[in-house]
Amino acid sequence: MQSSYISHLQCSGCGTGYSHQEIHTFCPDCQSPILTRYDLPHIRERVDRDEISRRLKGMWRWHELLPVESTDNIVSLGEGDTPLLRLPNLGDELKLTNLFVKDESTNPTGSFKARGLSAAVSKAKELGIKKVIIPTAGNAGGAMAAYAARAGLSAYIFMPKDTPFANIEESRMAGAEVILIDGLISDAAGMAGEKARAEGWFDVSTFKEPYRVEGKKIMAYELAEAFKWELPDVLIYPTGGGTGLVGMWKAFDELEKLGWLEKTQRPRLVSVQAEGCAPVVRAFQKGALFCDFWTNAHTLASGLRVPKSFADHLILQNLYDSDGTAIAVSDESILESQKQLARLEGIFAAPEGAATLAALKELIKQGWVHAEERIVLFNTGAGLKYINQPA
Amino acid sequence: MTHTVLYIEDNPDNTMLVRRALEARGYKVLDAETGSKGVTIAETEDVDLILLDINLPDIDGYEVARRLRSNIKRKLMSVPIIAITANALKGDAEKALNAGCDVYMSKPINIRELWARVEAFVPAP
Repeated sequence: MQSSYISHLQCSGCGTGYSHQEIHTFCPDCQSPILTRYDLPHIRERVDRDEISRRLKGMWRWHELLPVESTDNIVSLGEGDTPLLRLPNLGDELKLTNLFVKDESTNPTGSFKARGLSAAVSKAKELGIKKVIIPTAGNAGGAMAAYAARAGLSAYIFMPKDTPFANIEESRMAGAEVILIDGLISDAAGMAGEKARAEGWFDVSTFKEPYRVEGKKIMAYELAEAFKWELPDVLIYPTGGGTGLVGMWKAFDELEKLGWLEKTQRPRLVSVQAEGCAPVVRAFQKGALFCDFWTNAHTLASGLRVPKSFADHLILQNLYDSDGTAIAVSDESILESQKQLARLEGIFAAPEGAATLAALKELIKQGWVHAEERIVLFNTGAGLKYINQPA
Repeated sequence: MTHTVLYIEDNPDNTMLVRRALEARGYKVLDAETGSKGVTIAETEDVDLILLDINLPDIDGYEVARRLRSNIKRKLMSVPIIAITANALKGDAEKALNAGCDVYMSKPINIRELWARVEAFVPAP
C-alpha cells in the first residue's frame, strides 16, 4: 500500500517546482509559500473515498493526500476527525436552519494547530531534521512542542510575553525552550528566522515550510465527507496566518480533481479578524492583492494578532475566488458571542472561534447569508486555554 | 522611461535578489551597503524610489529616512521610501512610518508584492 502520493513541491507564486525529498522552506526565487502537489490522477484511479471513511478515525486516514511517505515517520497524538456539531439552539435564535460548528477544540493540545504541526513535524522527521523552531501567538507553539517531544526533536519557541499562560506552560512542560518577547508574532517571526539561519534550526513558521497547510486542509476533506460529498454553502473562519483557509481551498481543488464530490459548488469563504488587527479585511475592502502591515495590533484574541500573514496574497485570492468576504469584529462582540455559544450550546470556544459567531451576526444583519444555507463556524480551540484573560 | 530605484541594504543576498527582480521589470537599480552611503547616492543621483532596510551597520534606516526627508535636495522630501525590515524589534513599522517612510514591508520580501509596491509609485517601463 502506498502511504503518500506526494509528487513534488511547487511555488505558489512563480510556479517553480521543487523536490519533496529535500528540505525546503519558501521559494528562494520569489519568496512565496511553497505548496505540496500529489499524483491526483493515480489517487483517483486507486483510492476509494468510501474505503477511507471505513478506516480508523483520525487525520492520517487520509494519508494518501498527506506528505509523509513512510508510515513509520507519522507523529500522531490522535488529531483530526473533530466533531461537526449542529447548533439548533443558536440556529433558532438567529433564525438559521442549518448552522454548524466544526469544533477543533477536541484536537490534541486543544486547538486546530495540532493538525498542521502533526503534518510538519512528521515530515521534518522523515527529512532527518533534528531541531525545530517556531514563532507563535500561542497555540501553534504548544502544538509544536508536543509533537516535537513525541518525535524526539528539540524545540525552540518565540512567543509574545502576553501569550495565554496555558500556551507557555504546555510548551515548557513538553520540553521546549520558550523565549517570551516584548512584541507580536511578527516580531517573534523575525527572531525565529534569525536564529534558524544562524544555528540551523528548521523554521516551521506559518507558510515558511510546505507541510502545515497539508494537515489543516484535512478539515475540508472531513467536511466534504460529513456533508455526503457535497460542500456547505458558507465557511466562517478566523484568520491569523490563514493556513486553514488556504488549506481548505486547496483541498476543494483536490477534491474536484479526484472526482470525489457529488456537487462541485464550493463554499463562500468568510475571513474573520478583530477590529484591532484586520489587515485582510482592509485589503479585501480595497480589492488589494497584498495586505499592508497592520500597525499597533491589539485584540484579546491572541491568535488573531497577526499584523500581516506571509500568505496574504493566497488568502485574498481565495476570498475573491469564492465570492467570499472579510469582516472585522470587536473584542466586546467576541466576548458576548463566547458567552452565547456556551450558554446556548455548551461550547466554551476560544475567542478566535467565538469571533466567527460575532461575524455571523453581522453577516445576518447585512443579508449576506440566508436562512436555509448550510453555514459552518470554526471553533479553532478550547476556551479553557484562555482563562487567564479578562472574561 | 527607465526609473531608478536605490536599495540601501547591507545583506548582499537580499541586494542580489531585489536587483534581479527589479531589473527584470526594467528598473535601473543602484545600491548602497550603509545608511550614509545611501544618503550620499540619493543626494548625487536622480533616484525615483528608495528601498530602505532598517537594520544597517552605521546609521539605522530611521535616521536615513529622517535625513532624506530634511535634505536640501527638495526631491528627497517627497521621493517614495519603502522600508523593509526583519521585524527584529517591537514597533518597527510605526517607527519607520513616523520617520517618513511611505510603506512598510517585512522580510522575506515577496517579489510579487515588491513589484506591486514599487509599481504603485513608479510604473515599470
